[in-house]
Amino acid sequence: MNIKHLHRRHALSLLGGAAAVGAAGPAFAQAEPAKPAQLVVNHSGGSMGSAMRKAFFIGFEKKYGIKVVETSPVDFGKLRAMVDSGNVEWDLTEIGGQDAIRAGKANLLEKIDLKVVDRSKYPATAQNPYVFASSVYTTIIGYRNDVFKNGSQPKSWADWWDVKKFPGARSMRNHPTDNLEFALIADGVPKDKLYPIDFDRAFKKLDQIKPHITVWWSTGQQPAQLLLDKEVVLATGWNGRFYDIIKKGAPVAIEWNEGALKQGSFAIPRGAKSPYWANKMLAELAVPQQQAVYASELGYPGLNLESLNFVDPKVKPFLPTAYLDQQFWISDEWYAENGTKAAELWNAWMLKKG
Amino acid sequence: MKSRGFLPALPALILLFVFFLFPVVRMLGFSVEGGTFDWYAKALGEELYLRVFWNTFEIALLVTFFCLLLGYPLGFLMATTTPFWATAGFIFVLLPLWTSVLVRTYAWMVLLGRNGVFNRTLIESGIIADPIPLLHNFTGVLIGMVHVLLPYMVLPIYSAVRKVDPAIPAAAAGLGASSFAIFRRIYLPLTLNGIFAGSVLVFVLSLGFFITPALLGGGRVMMIAVLIEQQVREALNWPFAAALSAVLLVFTFAVYALAQRLTRTETAR
Repeated sequence: MNIKHLHRRHALSLLGGAAAVGAAGPAFAQAEPAKPAQLVVNHSGGSMGSAMRKAFFIGFEKKYGIKVVETSPVDFGKLRAMVDSGNVEWDLTEIGGQDAIRAGKANLLEKIDLKVVDRSKYPATAQNPYVFASSVYTTIIGYRNDVFKNGSQPKSWADWWDVKKFPGARSMRNHPTDNLEFALIADGVPKDKLYPIDFDRAFKKLDQIKPHITVWWSTGQQPAQLLLDKEVVLATGWNGRFYDIIKKGAPVAIEWNEGALKQGSFAIPRGAKSPYWANKMLAELAVPQQQAVYASELGYPGLNLESLNFVDPKVKPFLPTAYLDQQFWISDEWYAENGTKAAELWNAWMLKKG
Repeated sequence: MKSRGFLPALPALILLFVFFLFPVVRMLGFSVEGGTFDWYAKALGEELYLRVFWNTFEIALLVTFFCLLLGYPLGFLMATTTPFWATAGFIFVLLPLWTSVLVRTYAWMVLLGRNGVFNRTLIESGIIADPIPLLHNFTGVLIGMVHVLLPYMVLPIYSAVRKVDPAIPAAAAGLGASSFAIFRRIYLPLTLNGIFAGSVLVFVLSLGFFITPALLGGGRVMMIAVLIEQQVREALNWPFAAALSAVLLVFTFAVYALAQRLTRTETAR
């Protein structure tokens, strides 16, 4: 409280000083909340952190003179603990799609200030009052293209399940999200009729593929590494992780068909120290040119639909937004309601022998 | 006398109270939030959780066993060899302790994989035709966990062996006792405390293991810490997470008490 006061007073005296000199234009008349010394942004870290710095944070620091302090990892439990205890360290945090919806409902987030953040170019699915959709990613099939040559890779989830026609060790994520949907699609459910998920049908189909999954991965880097080491020849994974090793020359390629699309999201925790400047940061994340820089680094394009115009044509084939019509959106709303049940059924299914 | 011993320990006691006892009590409070024991009923009544508890204890026991099997001879050797080799031993035991668990786990993935160093060496030298599955299964988890936890076994055993007066085994040897008899009747009873301390450390640390089983087990090896983490971070069901933790805590104390009782009767004999 004291520090806030001090800052405010400091800013006021600065304002007064500037006015006295006569250098103050009309901009100074608008009372902008005082600038904090730093803005804390929490994200997943790793290569994402460096890409965010390059695409957004450097520009933000230059423009406003506020230092951007980065922390990681993303942790829903910690967010709740912070808000509950009133000691909110983050001004802005990345948050999983379904978690964001639950956090909004649980009153853990500040509303996004639409006067500061322009979302007019965003699709209707990205207009949640508490959640800023920063990027799109998709879970798709990565494969060794020295094993599946000349387009002989599995091109659908039905193919993925067909271990006779497409033999080889496979890896899938140790999580119900994506896999339940993939199983239903392989079983013939149309992409727009997946929800509500029919658990029995999905797990029955998953039973068929279980013996052929060598590794159930749990961290995002694993599927890329497994393909690199040829531990498996087929792996589901997040497009950016495959893009990263493909850029470095790995004999790996991506099959985009029937991929599971998700939004990467950011939100402002309730009680954040500098919500106004967090909104300013979101406004920076919404700039299409900067989103294009970010997308070229990681393969995760922004949802400002104009951003594709600023991307190098060589990068475009590696962005999920180039294949939107072949893929489907994971329903964050459904998982926000049913995620716990899905996780329990999934764990029980994983424990089953066979 | 009593108060003189108590006073210097006061800062540590306060620290333990504030940062350990208080959070544990709070956690126990969480688990019965709303005055209901429903979460305990769920933790102890559903097959999923019981089986994962069982898995966890099974793994922790096996890891402790293998750590003891490898750690006792190593600790013994370090305590009885020349200072040069003892230092060398310390460096090899402690160095991995300063490396991140994640890095060590990824290193095992490189070594144990189908195309990893072990399997490729064995295949190229013609010993085996197909790679042995060492990774993404129970074996991989055991290897990784024993590696991470071995120092916690070696160090207490080392210090216990050091405390044995070298005159005693020398006297026994002079009276014609075989090496096995010296071990069985002198070293083993005198180092039992070290074995106990090391085993308890390894066992208790194993119970909370998390990253290593997830990565080296290929998702097939489920430990209770993983489920607790899911409840804390994904489901945000803190009462249930607290109940699971409390059950784990009680089981752990029970095992500890049992082990202590066993060593007491052993040393009394």
